[in-house]
Amino acid sequence: MKFSMSSPSTRRVGWGLALLVLVLFPLLVESGTEEVTRWIPLAVAGIGLNLLTGFNGQVSIGHGAFFGLGAYACGIWVNDHDGQFLMGFIVAIVLSFLAGAIVGLPALRIRGLALALMTIAVGTLFPDIIRQFEGLTGGSSGLAIQTLTVNGRGKLQDRTTEWLAPGWSGISSNQWRFYIFATIAVICVAMVAALIRSRTGRALIAIRDNEVAAETNGIAVDRLKVITFGLSAALAGIGGAMFALIDFNLTPDPFNLTFSLNLLVIVVIGGSGTILGPVVGALSVGLFNDVIVKKVLPADLGLLGPVILGVTLVLSMQFAPAGTVGSIKHTIEERQLKRRIASPPAS
Amino acid sequence: MSAFFQYCVIGLSNGAVYAMVAMSLVIIYRATGLLNFAQGETSLIATFVVWEAHDRGLPLPLALIIGMIAGFLLGAVLQRVAVQPAGDPATAPLQLVIVTIGLLLVLNNTAGLIWGNESKVFDPMFGPSSVNVGGVTIAAQQIGTVAVLLVEALALVAVFRFTKIGLAMRSVASNAEASGLSGIPVARILVISWGIAGGIGAIAGTFAAPNLGMDATLFLKILVLSFAAMTIGGFDSLLGAIVGGLVVGLITDVLPRYVDWLKEMPLAPAVLLILAVLLVRPQGLFGSKQVRRV
Repeated sequence: MKFSMSSPSTRRVGWGLALLVLVLFPLLVESGTEEVTRWIPLAVAGIGLNLLTGFNGQVSIGHGAFFGLGAYACGIWVNDHDGQFLMGFIVAIVLSFLAGAIVGLPALRIRGLALALMTIAVGTLFPDIIRQFEGLTGGSSGLAIQTLTVNGRGKLQDRTTEWLAPGWSGISSNQWRFYIFATIAVICVAMVAALIRSRTGRALIAIRDNEVAAETNGIAVDRLKVITFGLSAALAGIGGAMFALIDFNLTPDPFNLTFSLNLLVIVVIGGSGTILGPVVGALSVGLFNDVIVKKVLPADLGLLGPVILGVTLVLSMQFAPAGTVGSIKHTIEERQLKRRIASPPAS
Repeated sequence: MSAFFQYCVIGLSNGAVYAMVAMSLVIIYRATGLLNFAQGETSLIATFVVWEAHDRGLPLPLALIIGMIAGFLLGAVLQRVAVQPAGDPATAPLQLVIVTIGLLLVLNNTAGLIWGNESKVFDPMFGPSSVNVGGVTIAAQQIGTVAVLLVEALALVAVFRFTKIGLAMRSVASNAEASGLSGIPVARILVISWGIAGGIGAIAGTFAAPNLGMDATLFLKILVLSFAAMTIGGFDSLLGAIVGGLVVGLITDVLPRYVDWLKEMPLAPAVLLILAVLLVRPQGLFGSKQVRRV
C-alpha cells in the first residue's frame, strides 16, 4: 500500500496517535501538565476565532472580550452556586454567543477594515467594563472564585474552589483537570471539523470567497454571518470559562488588546482556515512564551522574548504566509500532484 | 460652567495628539491600504530619539527635527524590509496585519531594552506657562499642540496638492498599477509615505509625552484612540482624521466627568459613536465611499 497523508486510513492512524499522546502526556510528563493545561483555553479560543476569521473571512481583533466574558460568566456562576462547573460552562457559552451575535449585527453593514476597527474598540473596552461594574465582577481587585467547604473543625467556610480528581482514578487534580480540558478541546475541534465539512460550512467558506456569488446561490448571507459570529464568540467563551477554572481568580487585566492580538497571532501562525491550525498555533506560542522565554533565555533579557516573537512573525509571514498547518498541507498537495503527473494511474 | 470649558480644553489638546497619529495612519492607509499597528511604536522610537537628543543638551525644536528624521528613516526602512516583501494587502490583509503586529512587538520591546522601563521627564516644548481666560486655565503647551496640529495639517495638504511628490502619492493611492505604467516609481513613493508617517509620529510623541509620561507604553493607549479617530473620520481622509481626533479627545475627556457610570470606561462613548457613525455612513464622516460592484 502506498503511503499517503490524505488517505482515510492514514488519517485515522494519525488521529489515533494524537489522542494517545493526549492521554499519555500527563502521566509521563507530570511536571509539564500544568503549563500545557494553560495553553488549552487559548487553543479553543483560537479555534473559535479561526471559524470567524479563517473560514468566514470576518476579521475580529477583539476576541479577548468574548474570552473574558466567558471567564467572568463562568467564574461568577461557579462562585455563586458552589462549584457547579458544568452549569458555569453553559452560562458562559450562552452569554458569549449572544454577545458575539450582537457584535456581529453591525458586521452586516460594516465590513473589512471598519469591522476590524470596531472589534478593536470592543476588545479595548472590555477590561474597562469589568472595572466599571465592580459590584458584580470585583473590579480591579479581582474576583476570587470560592466554594463553601467544611473545614477541619466542622465549620462551613469560603475557600478557593479547586479541582478534585475522583478517588477511584488515582490521578492528581492537575492531571484530572488536563483530561477534562483536553476532552473539551477535542470535542470543539471535532464539532468545528464537522461543521466545516457540512453544507453550512461550505456556505461559510463561500461567503468568505465571494459574498455576492454566495448570495446569488441562495445562501442566507446575513443570517449565517451573525450566527458564525455568535458561534465563534461562544468558542472563545468556552476557552474563557476554562481559563477561569485554572487559577480560580480573575482580574480584568489579562483580557486586553494584547490578548486579542495574541489570539490572532495563534490563528495565523498555526494556519488560518485549517481545522488544526489554531491548536498548533496555541502550542507554538505557549511553548515559546512559557518554556523558551522563561526557561531558556536569561532572566535579565526578558524583553528579548517578545522581540524574537515579533521577528518570527514578520519572517514567517514572508516565507510561510499560510501558517504552519497551511504550509504543510500545501507541500503535501504539491507532492501528490507531482507524483500523479509523473505516473498517471493506469486506466 | 468654567469647569466644563476646562475639560474641553484638556480634551481638545489630547485630541490633537490622537489626530496627529490618526493622520499618519491615514497616510499609510492611503498609500498601502494597510492598517498599521506598528505606527504607534514607530512614533515611540522617534519620540525616544527626541528625548535622547534633548537629554544630551540640544534645544527641543532641534531635537524634534532629529527625531522626525529618525522617524522618517525608521518608517521607510520598515516598509522596505518588513512590509513590502510580505505581499499585497489587497490579497493577504490578515498576513500584513500580523506583520505589523510583529513589528509592534519588536519596536516596543526594543525601546524598552534601550531606554529602560522607568518613565522619563519630557519637557513641554512651549514651556510651563499658562493663560487664564474667564476662569479657564489654558496652558501654552495646549495651545501649542493644537496650533502645531493645524500647521502640520496645512503642510501635508500643501505637499499633497502642490508638489510633484504629493501628486505622485495621490496618484499611487488612487491606482498604483496605472501610476507605475505612467512612470511613477511606485515602490519609492510607498517608502516615502511610510517615512512621512514616521516623521509625524515624532511630533505626536513630543506633544503627548510631557502629559502622559515618556515610557514604552506611551503609544499603546493613544493608538487605540487614534484608530477610533480614523474610523470616525473615514479611513482615507486627512480632514476626517483631524475632526475624528478632536471629537474622540472631547468625548473621552469630557463625558466621563459628568456621567457617573462612564468613569471607569472613558472609551465607551467613543465606541458607541463609532458604531453610530458607521451604521449611518459606513465610509465614515469624510471618507470616500467604496463602491462594491455586483
